[in-house]
Amino acid sequence: MSIGGTTSGISQRATADNYPPRNSRLTRTDRRSIGIEKIMLALVMLYLLIPLGATLWFGLDTGKGIDFSIYQRIFADPDFSQTIITSLELAFGATILAVVLVTPTAYWVQLRIPRARPLLDFLSLVPFAMPAIVLAVGLLQEYSGSSGPLINILSLGLVPLLSNNLNIVNTPPLLVCAYVIIALPFVYRPIDNSLRAINTTVLTEAAYSLGSGWWRAFLTVILPNIWPGIISAALLTFSTVMGEFTLATLFSIYTFPIFLNNVGQQDAHRAASLAILSFIFTLVCVLGIILLVRRRPGGAAGQVDIAAAK
Amino acid sequence: MQPQMARGIADTASKPSEAPNRIRRQSDRGWSYTLRSWLGLIPFLLFCLLFEILPIIGGLAAYGVYNLRTGWLRNLLIGFSSIAANFAGVPLAFAFVATLGVTGFVTVAIQNWFHVSLYDHGFSIYQFWGLVMVYTYFQLPLMILVTLPALSALRPEWKEAATNLGATNFTYWRRVAFPILLPSLIAATMLLFANSFGAFATAFALAQGNIALVPILINFVVNGNVTVDFGLGNALAVGMIVILLIAVSFYTAMVRRANVWQGR
Repeated sequence: MSIGGTTSGISQRATADNYPPRNSRLTRTDRRSIGIEKIMLALVMLYLLIPLGATLWFGLDTGKGIDFSIYQRIFADPDFSQTIITSLELAFGATILAVVLVTPTAYWVQLRIPRARPLLDFLSLVPFAMPAIVLAVGLLQEYSGSSGPLINILSLGLVPLLSNNLNIVNTPPLLVCAYVIIALPFVYRPIDNSLRAINTTVLTEAAYSLGSGWWRAFLTVILPNIWPGIISAALLTFSTVMGEFTLATLFSIYTFPIFLNNVGQQDAHRAASLAILSFIFTLVCVLGIILLVRRRPGGAAGQVDIAAAK
Repeated sequence: MQPQMARGIADTASKPSEAPNRIRRQSDRGWSYTLRSWLGLIPFLLFCLLFEILPIIGGLAAYGVYNLRTGWLRNLLIGFSSIAANFAGVPLAFAFVATLGVTGFVTVAIQNWFHVSLYDHGFSIYQFWGLVMVYTYFQLPLMILVTLPALSALRPEWKEAATNLGATNFTYWRRVAFPILLPSLIAATMLLFANSFGAFATAFALAQGNIALVPILINFVVNGNVTVDFGLGNALAVGMIVILLIAVSFYTAMVRRANVWQGR
């Protein structure tokens, strides 16, 4: 109510930054009492940080003091470089395949059949109902050449072709496709959020009215605007595949997590240093997501999706 | 070969008292066999249902993050939660071995400061409760991340209206906020349950199969640990799918209810 012209409290939207207002009855007037939620938060954060510190110490300490040469020995290991390269190849393949498959699909659904979106949301929940281990068992059964006639007909003859003629079981291409299935919710959700944040229909219609076709509108108009979602999806898929252990074990393909597991069975110190490397890699990926998504105003603010590598 | 095969599977799946029954029933392989092996894994189901405790801790921690007024600290905690939730798998198992293993950092620290040896008192990271602690590590940040959007959908006007009508803080939480949050909390619990139910890499890397869990048993049976038996693996997988479908349908039902109040 001041004459100076500050806005009254009613017209000011209560956001998380200015709520509760500083001089109102709703602030915690007794400053000495810390709420139970802050205590719980502090305990949780402590619980999350202690293993990281312990692992760092455990990896570097070989009983003779801090010793960085353990990292030299790790990098000189030929198995390490071989599995890292295998994992990187699989991760790149899965990422590219997933993004290339899902982005035009999500755009087309958003444009043409927005009512099918609940169906796609439900489909993106399927990897939670069918975890990696179940998927692996199913795929192994399917492509080992003993599938029934119903599956042969339903897949239009592709399954017998792939399993009998091309012998696709236990090979990297099948693993890449399985990774795409697992990463599907983490790819679909950010891209869908990005598509909803921009006004897709209006942009597309404007592009059409100026004479561009479907692909040109998609590639030059929509794609630059949903770039944060695509980057987020790609980084999530990449970090999921780099840390994925279940499928690789059951398909008997030697990737980095399997190497980590083998090392850990023999030498816990080396395993601890490798775990720190893994953590730094995950840190870089998630930081990339957070930084890149925040750069554009079209990105989903603060909502970082989670990928569970289990 | 037959009794050996049965004993091999029995070691990982059942209590010792069931071993003679298992060998006798080897011949009639059918759904009754699978049902028996499922009943033997009930401790595992209890283990997952134990995550009812996690939502309380995680929900309170999420409220703590939500209530933080310093923006950079809140963003830092959210980022760290997503990193920790993504850390699950083989590296996490070895991180916990480095922390709470026999020569782990915390074990040795407790030994030096309090002169209490954890492992002499029966605690072990490679047993049930140790696995619970390891799973908690990536489930708590997941809970925080999933509960934060639900908490930010609580409009401040509701709190003001409640205070206006004379409600104390506790009454507001009990009568207004908690019923609104309840579908989201149940949905988050179902998500945590599904996540931990299907988790294989962490448990396998930790104990290499000495813990009786359904995914590990599937891995043994499919990878030919004792024998290759795709039938049992398929049956166990179908059982997993049934349980997970129940959890996921609860999840979608609760999310649909929560969207009513969150106005999406």
